[in-house]
Amino acid sequence: MNDRVPVIVFVGQPNSGKSTLFNAIAGFKAQTSNFPGTTVCHAHSEVAWKDRIYSIVDLPGTYSLTPQEPQEKVVLTHIFKERPDLIVNVIDASLLCRNLELTVELLELEYPMVVVLNMMDLAEKKGLTIEVEALEKKLGLPVIKTVATRGQGTRELMDRVEKVLAERQTPRHLKYSGEVESRIKKLTERLPADFPVIANPRFTAIRAIEAETLAVDKFILDNNPDFKNDLDQVRQELSALREAPAYEVLAAERHHLALKIFEDCCRVRHARLSGLEKLDSFIMHPVLGLFLLLLVFAGMFYLIFRVGSPLEAWLLKPWEALRLGIQEKYGQNLLAELLVGLVQGIGGGVAIVFPYFIPLLLLMGFLEDIGYLARAGFLMDAFMHRLGLHGKSVPLFILGFGCNVPAIMATRILESRRDRIITALLIPFIPCAARTTIILALVAFLLGPWWALGFYALNLVVVAVLSSLLTRIFKYSSPGLILEIPGLKWPSLKNILQKTYFNLKEFIRFAWPILIAGSVLLSLLSFVNFDRLVNAILSPFVSGLLGLPSELGVTLIFGFLRKELSLLMMFQALGVGYEQLLSVLSRAQLLTFVTFVSFFIPCLSTLAILWKELGRKIAMVSVLLNLSVAVLVSWLVRLAFSLF
Amino acid sequence: MFGHRKEQTEAWPLTGRVCTLLDVPQGRKFRIVEIKGGPGLHRRLLSLGFHRGDLIALDGEALLGGPVLVKNLNSDTRIALGRGIARKILVEPADENER
Ligand SMILES: Nc1nc2c(ncn2[C@@H]2O[C@H](COP(=O)(O)OP(=O)(O)OP(=O)(O)O)[C@@H](O)[C@H]2O)c(=O)[nH]1
Ligand SMILES: [Mg+2]
Repeated sequence: MNDRVPVIVFVGQPNSGKSTLFNAIAGFKAQTSNFPGTTVCHAHSEVAWKDRIYSIVDLPGTYSLTPQEPQEKVVLTHIFKERPDLIVNVIDASLLCRNLELTVELLELEYPMVVVLNMMDLAEKKGLTIEVEALEKKLGLPVIKTVATRGQGTRELMDRVEKVLAERQTPRHLKYSGEVESRIKKLTERLPADFPVIANPRFTAIRAIEAETLAVDKFILDNNPDFKNDLDQVRQELSALREAPAYEVLAAERHHLALKIFEDCCRVRHARLSGLEKLDSFIMHPVLGLFLLLLVFAGMFYLIFRVGSPLEAWLLKPWEALRLGIQEKYGQNLLAELLVGLVQGIGGGVAIVFPYFIPLLLLMGFLEDIGYLARAGFLMDAFMHRLGLHGKSVPLFILGFGCNVPAIMATRILESRRDRIITALLIPFIPCAARTTIILALVAFLLGPWWALGFYALNLVVVAVLSSLLTRIFKYSSPGLILEIPGLKWPSLKNILQKTYFNLKEFIRFAWPILIAGSVLLSLLSFVNFDRLVNAILSPFVSGLLGLPSELGVTLIFGFLRKELSLLMMFQALGVGYEQLLSVLSRAQLLTFVTFVSFFIPCLSTLAILWKELGRKIAMVSVLLNLSVAVLVSWLVRLAFSLF
Repeated sequence: MFGHRKEQTEAWPLTGRVCTLLDVPQGRKFRIVEIKGGPGLHRRLLSLGFHRGDLIALDGEALLGGPVLVKNLNSDTRIALGRGIARKILVEPADENER
């Protein structure tokens, strides 16, 4: 073999554990979650195994090779254009039958391939016995059993990969029934000489037949008028055979091949109803399930608050003492100001991260891992329809409570562009973990938990109202919900911890330094009196419209970077410590300010991802939308307080 | 329209009777006869492993015109389908012992 690094792609149906397996082999690099559609773009890593380097690519899940969602198209680009050296087909063994349909389709490529039966633990619990040798024989492929969450089977997998690559084993496709196969053969022979062949002529012919009603079809046919007649004829013949469209005939062939293999290689003992299944029928219950949903989220925030607020008070003390100490000792010179800025930046980070951020991430990780997100989508679908969207957006909003950025990326799982745009415009209004932290640390800590809850309710009302407004502007009928509900799983602690660590690392690496630098910068600005200028310029708005102290103006500038920055900096801007805040701000002013800052602009990284995913225009619309909502709602909050 | 539809024991199964997925009681076995609607929907369901001839059962439904939960007994997977889509799937009652 030559020295080029072999490229290995992980292909499989959504939620089969590709990313978990990838992480087990390559170290923690990709997000995982018990929700079909977690990975939306590829992650790749170089892995050394027995003195050789391999380039491993984790791809989004795809149900078939006829892509319907944007993230599924990523898979095709990788398979067709950047021809990989080997495909690792990751199968959820507990759903072997359906997963085999994709395997049959992948086999048609006749690329070197290894099949991974992942989630063997679940398959066994379900009462499935899979005879690996029989399966290997039927498929003509090596089959490896793994449990990715425990890292079982990864060595065997890499050994097999090495062997297949070294021996250049390529598999043969499976045969459809004779009458269908002969039609495909006929078309294969008529392929024009200049026709763009993918993988091999038979596969290309199958793709061409299946392209019926897809956009590429017209493209193929316009360029090959002679071929058009042959193709039409074959489609009609296939269609006549089974009284179904040609694409369905081929899909049914694969379905039956998969069923047959499944029946030949697999025995099913009927397992009794597990505890999880009983729990599931409770979670999915039309009435109780909704109560539970409410309870889960209310309980989650209550728990975080109960844990966080005593911890916050305790953590703040030493930093507060340090700040007072510095001021006492050095008085009012530049060094002292900078030191105070530094202390407030670091202390703010500590007081945010540990009490609230970590518990929130842990709980979100738990909900994701058991598979609650898709279930929430199912329960809330009817409600979402009243707001002009459907239930598939719900898991994305819930993701947004963690961080808006991955939530916006995940909008790729929505079929229609209209739903994608509206959902992506709404997500920045969902309070992410960092903002929730602020709400808890400021509003709940200083004013009491009910105020925080009220603020949350207000936030959700704003999202709901905006949604029904936006869906009225972009009018199409929503195509209706089609969402796979993955099996409920016992959460894996290791997985949750890894995920929390992953998100925490991002926060510590990017957000905290900005927080500290911003804090120091503000000290510097105020020392040279630059902040006065900014405050004076913004004063008509800040004091005039919102009725806030004009000193807060300068903090808004920092809010462009990260929202929590504005809120933390208000102490510095107002020149008070944490506990004395209410001596300089009224309750109404505090809430007005928190409202304004929460909404006024998507943070820098959210804006960047909006731009990248949906284009500049949508990003600009998002900024305008946020600004106008922020002004309107915070003004309303001020008004409400002055009236009551 | 409201609430949990109770298992209806009276009129079923009326063999040979074709109806939509919206009209069937929970928990009984049915066979997919036809999927109406455009090719987009059809392909989507095919790739999710829902084919003509498959055995399915209604596994639950959400409140207030929300989606229904459909279990494919052949491949043991579950999907949630909005009512508009469930209406386009025609099924007939199947023998309880069939597989
Ligand atoms: N019990 C068990 N759970 C597993 C195993 N492998 C993965 N999981 C869990 O299955 C869920 C899905 O895993 P992912 O790795 O995100 O799946 P994926 O194939 O990358 O999914 P998409 O990116 O959506 O296509 C996660 O909750 C994992 O913890 C396994 O071998 N056993
Ligand atoms: Mg993944």
